[in-house]
Amino acid sequence: MLSISAFLKSLLLIVTAAVLAGGLFIYSGFYPMGADTQHHPITYWLLETLREKSIARAAKNIQVPADLDSSDRLLSGGADYNDMCASCHLKPGKTESDFTIGLYPSPPNLSVSADEHKHSHDARSAGDETIKRQFWIIKHGIKASGMPAWGPSHSDDRIWNMVAFLQRLPSLSKDQYQILTARGDTEESH
Amino acid sequence: MNMKLTPPILLITLFTTVMSAQAHDPKEHMKDAEKPDCSAMKDMDHSKMDMDDPVMQAMMKKCMKDMHHGKDKSESDSDHAHDDNNSEDEHAERQH
Repeated sequence: MLSISAFLKSLLLIVTAAVLAGGLFIYSGFYPMGADTQHHPITYWLLETLREKSIARAAKNIQVPADLDSSDRLLSGGADYNDMCASCHLKPGKTESDFTIGLYPSPPNLSVSADEHKHSHDARSAGDETIKRQFWIIKHGIKASGMPAWGPSHSDDRIWNMVAFLQRLPSLSKDQYQILTARGDTEESH
Repeated sequence: MNMKLTPPILLITLFTTVMSAQAHDPKEHMKDAEKPDCSAMKDMDHSKMDMDDPVMQAMMKKCMKDMHHGKDKSESDSDHAHDDNNSEDEHAERQH
């Protein structure tokens, strides 16, 4: 039977060997860094779980505005979505873009329902949790994913407008999307 | 030497700060802003529209002017037609 000191020595040896092996791997440059090489399923699961748990904890206490369903929020959020998000997260009638093909992980198609774009977070969060999650992601972005943090350059209210628009986006037709997201206003010349 | 470099550095910093603050102003996007295509709304059956739906309300707000113009035009056309009918009636009465 191993004594405690022998056990600790073995443990230290294993940890040191693991750190050295990790360091060697990092400095060897053998890791395939390209976005066109997919993660191992275990790595993907680890990163995705880390991301989702972190966002869920951080977004837990966000207060959702009561007027999220107002038409003014839809108009303001729609125009911003079209300018800032549609190239990656698509719009009605569009199923892919250079960004959706080239980015890894691929950004979710937000113009279709959660069931259709099959991103696993939606099975874990529903209702207000999804809304809080969307607000947090737009505001803070996600590291090493291509999703920028819009918080430093956009007010919370403007981000909530985009979240409001996201709630309606999957049900919009191409015509409705065009009208809601066009920045030009036919009433301006009044 | 340092004093000579200070004003340009300050100016560059100020310029960069101002530019970054304006970068996401909605007005910046207005230069090549797309106009809403309200023709789809004109063809819709207004009696079947749910006016409590925020999407419909937003579309109405966006297309208000177009809708009014369309309405005004059709009203003026019908007024004109009505005037024509009246003048025809008057003309007929005068002939009697």
